[in-house]
Amino acid sequence: MPDLSKMKKPDVKVVLLGDMNVGKTSLLHRYMERKFKDTISTVGGAFFLKQWGPYNISIWDTAGREQFHGLGSMYCRGAAAVILTYDVTNWQSLAELEERFLSLTDTANHDCIYALVGNKADLTDPRAQLPPEAAGLPEDQTEEERTEPRVPSACPTPPASPTSPSGALLHKQVAGEDAAALYGRILRYKGLDEKGSLPAEKMCFETSAKTGYNVDALFETLFDLVLPSILRKRHENQESPTVDLEDFRGVGTKRARSTCC
Amino acid sequence: MSVKAFELVPAVERDLLMGDKARINIECIECCGKHLYVGTNDCFIHHFLLDEVTSSKGKLSYSSQKLLHKYLGLKKPVAELRAASALERLIVLCDGIVFLVDMVTLETVPSAAGGGVKIRGVTAFCINENPVSGDPFCVEIAVLCSKRRTVQIYMVYEDRVQLVKEMNTPQQPCAVSLDGYFLCLALATQYMILNYNTGASQDLFPYNSEERRPIVKWINREEFLLAAPGGLGMFANAEGISQRAPVKWSESVIAAAVCFPYVVALDENFITIHSMLDQQLKQTLSFRDGHILQDFEGKVMLASTKAVYVLVPLPLERQIQDLLASRRVEEALILTEGAQRNIPKDKFQILHRRILQQAGFIQFGQLQFLEAKEHFRKGELDVRELISLYPLLLPASSSFTRCHPPLHEFADLNHLAQGDQEKVLQCKRFLISYLGEVRSTEMVNGCREDVDTALLKLYAEQDHESLLDLLATENACVLADSVPWLEKYHKYFALGLLYHYHCQDSAAVKLWIRVADGDLQDSTRSGLFEYIVDFLCSSSSQDLVWKHADWALQKDPTIGVHIFTKRPAGKDHTDLNPDDVITYLGKHNHALLLYLEHLVLERRIQKEKLHTHLAVLYLERVLSLLSKSPTDAEQLNRARERLQAFLRESNLYRVQFLLGKMENCEQLLLERATLHGKLEEHDKALHILVHKLRDFPSAEAFCIWASSSRDSAYRQRLFHLLLGVYLDGSPGKGQTANDGGGKLEMAAVDLLNQHGEVFDPVRVLRMLPEGWSLQLLRPFLNRAVRASMHACRTSQIALGLAHSENLQLLHDRLKERKKPILVSEKKGCHLCHNTFSEPAVVCLPGGVPVHTHCVAQRVRDSPTKRHLTNSSNHT
Repeated sequence: MPDLSKMKKPDVKVVLLGDMNVGKTSLLHRYMERKFKDTISTVGGAFFLKQWGPYNISIWDTAGREQFHGLGSMYCRGAAAVILTYDVTNWQSLAELEERFLSLTDTANHDCIYALVGNKADLTDPRAQLPPEAAGLPEDQTEEERTEPRVPSACPTPPASPTSPSGALLHKQVAGEDAAALYGRILRYKGLDEKGSLPAEKMCFETSAKTGYNVDALFETLFDLVLPSILRKRHENQESPTVDLEDFRGVGTKRARSTCC
Repeated sequence: MSVKAFELVPAVERDLLMGDKARINIECIECCGKHLYVGTNDCFIHHFLLDEVTSSKGKLSYSSQKLLHKYLGLKKPVAELRAASALERLIVLCDGIVFLVDMVTLETVPSAAGGGVKIRGVTAFCINENPVSGDPFCVEIAVLCSKRRTVQIYMVYEDRVQLVKEMNTPQQPCAVSLDGYFLCLALATQYMILNYNTGASQDLFPYNSEERRPIVKWINREEFLLAAPGGLGMFANAEGISQRAPVKWSESVIAAAVCFPYVVALDENFITIHSMLDQQLKQTLSFRDGHILQDFEGKVMLASTKAVYVLVPLPLERQIQDLLASRRVEEALILTEGAQRNIPKDKFQILHRRILQQAGFIQFGQLQFLEAKEHFRKGELDVRELISLYPLLLPASSSFTRCHPPLHEFADLNHLAQGDQEKVLQCKRFLISYLGEVRSTEMVNGCREDVDTALLKLYAEQDHESLLDLLATENACVLADSVPWLEKYHKYFALGLLYHYHCQDSAAVKLWIRVADGDLQDSTRSGLFEYIVDFLCSSSSQDLVWKHADWALQKDPTIGVHIFTKRPAGKDHTDLNPDDVITYLGKHNHALLLYLEHLVLERRIQKEKLHTHLAVLYLERVLSLLSKSPTDAEQLNRARERLQAFLRESNLYRVQFLLGKMENCEQLLLERATLHGKLEEHDKALHILVHKLRDFPSAEAFCIWASSSRDSAYRQRLFHLLLGVYLDGSPGKGQTANDGGGKLEMAAVDLLNQHGEVFDPVRVLRMLPEGWSLQLLRPFLNRAVRASMHACRTSQIALGLAHSENLQLLHDRLKERKKPILVSEKKGCHLCHNTFSEPAVVCLPGGVPVHTHCVAQRVRDSPTKRHLTNSSNHT
């Protein structure tokens, strides 16, 4: 029998979860292919390999449809990072994350990183309508940006997805604070100490797959954060199957340190 | 869609199996090497020998020969048949019983003494594809029992089966696969992985086994293919992780198998073939009444209820070529790269390169140059394949022939562009950039000439600015091929560079000269004439220089002479002999002049001959200008200034010779004066200046010039001479009182008043006529008196300073040499022996103090001594 394994073994796994139609596939397309294109409803799942420095990161795009819900926990198994995606114009999509998708992440790694991503920001936020270079907002400003009052402008934008019936900005149903609150609940669900974990302002994103707003920042932040996980995995593979507590503590402190900057 | 990856080939036809008996159906099949076993619903096992037959056209077919059939005597369908070839046994499941049958005779194996050979109450079983035990003469199977929620592991030997392990499951299992210790199970509502060694279990995902038939298919070491909700084919490994994206089947999928890189699935009406590499559906084959799809040692077999087929994969290369033929480049490359592990490395590399090249050409044909370039580069394309598409670009001398079979379908660029000139142009631009990039890499080793020549042709044709850069730097352009091409596009300047690069400087210069003369048209380079001169100037070939200098000098002597004057003074240049050059330049007067100037004035060659020659040339020029009428005053002045300057500054020319040349020319008096000056015949010079030219400022300038490197006495002498000349001509001496005499007198006065410092006033006063008024000479006299007073006082100061210095030195000397002389009332004078009463004493040599009056006495007494040597006071 031929060896069926892929030529490149992924070092680490990142999984996109979220309700159907929130834009998981589009986010991934935007990041991998630098463009926004019409996608059809994902069947089952798909994955991409991303070369990140010397590492291969596999990014799994899952199907949001209820029909494939059962496969979710399998995709999450061994994941180093999970991107929980919702649609900022759709409150239900955030609620679904907690109700349906959070339990799927039980199979992820114990040190898995969670990111909350509100996609389709271009529909509610004029700033996200510009390409990321023009907007030029590093992610540490997102907190500030969130607290600013949103004045719906009459500036017409072409419809970004079937959910936007008109060119005008839509009502933003999910505020940044809602996402941050959910992030806190996720940490509690995971039994994680909020102080020892990555802070909400760092792990909650608002993105637009259509304009590319914040998309690179999202993936690159995550990739940088999963690097310790890769190193640990390599270390384990080389040395012994036992988990080195010292090493793990090292990873933990490193992460704690990274939160203060 | 529509890759032809597989072909369905009949293996056992209906009439061979059951003839016209309508109720008999195939239930299961097993294939082991050439042996095919078929189990039917009437409890028969049929044994066939299956032979591959390849027709002359390369088409594969199977001929089957029935060896045996055997009734098992259970009146129930044969549910499962698995061969254990090492044991020469078939493991049979029929009527819920697993038992062994001899592979050859199909006789049921009787129970041995050691244990039973039958397992009862079985719904399904599977063979461990990756057994943990190393014993080659036993087979490990997993068995699902109908009643209990258990899985049992048995070892099957030649004549017995032995229970190894029994595992409980949370629900009734209905399908199983086994790899090592890992059982992959389909339960009623989900799939799970169960490790029968550790008992650890891992839920995979939910699946309603009652609604849809589950599929648990071992595909690879620790990897399984499972039917998932929504008609998905999910991959899962033993750790419960999916490492490949799922494929999308239909909801009614019955069976699936993997034949790398494809997943083959069977549903009620079709065989679907998906690629594992990109999860896309690649081929669909219509297949009715299919109910069995299994792979045996890589061979995928299918069965309908009545007949058996083999799904023969088409050769990989054929599949790839089909993809390329339909321009599905990406898919072809994915398929190629996916097959890397299945093909020997060297063979793969050849295949991969070829596919990359073909892909590149397809993209090239679609004008997707960026992608094409990348594929050409990765595929290490012989650049000439690409060049050969462009008519006439490869040099005639090139030994290149396109590879066979061809990498593309294009005859040439015109064929590709179908007459669209814009396309042709784009292709040419692409080739320019591509060749430009690769020509300095290893990719063009061995065909550098072809590449550079092609590039040259393209540059010439497209009027590209890099043409000259190409030719000016290291290149391998083939001369014979490039010449007509460059001529065709009137790139004569470039052609000259090419000739030069091929050491045919003579041809290059000849060509350029034709362009410079306007015989040929090429506007590449403005100032071509200067370029040619520069070229000749730096040319090391003397022949070339001699041959073409004449042309250059005739065209423009001023620039042409640069050939000789601007030659770099390198050692490698066998320098032209100046004498040869001078002889050569004989007929080019102006150029000769410039050359001599170069030698004399710039290179400062100190040779009498050159200096004289140059002076003569200057002189001749002046004379020729003088002889013209009307004379061009400005030119004449310039020429004379040069002559004069040279005569003044050079000391090497033959003065007498020149003097002789201008003896009878009354217009060159100034020059003659200079020459007389050179001969130190200052009186003659001054005579000319004062009396003939009456040019007093020049006379003064002459004095200053002639004495410039001499001492002040010499200068004084000259000025006195001049003064004398002035005074001699004045009416005081001669009786003729004309205004000229008055002028001389005034000149004398001016001279004295202006250059008074040079003269010796005493001598001047003696020379001056008596009648001159003091007022007239007042500035001179003032200055003279002042100067003399100044000198007097200066000398007085000097004297005083010298005196004081002398005293100081004496004091110092005394201080160094003498001890203090003690004088007291108790000490006596050596002369009178009386004691001292006052401090003033005289010291005799030896430091002996004596009374002043005693010394005075003694001096008076001795007439020989006139002076006191020394006196000083010490206390």
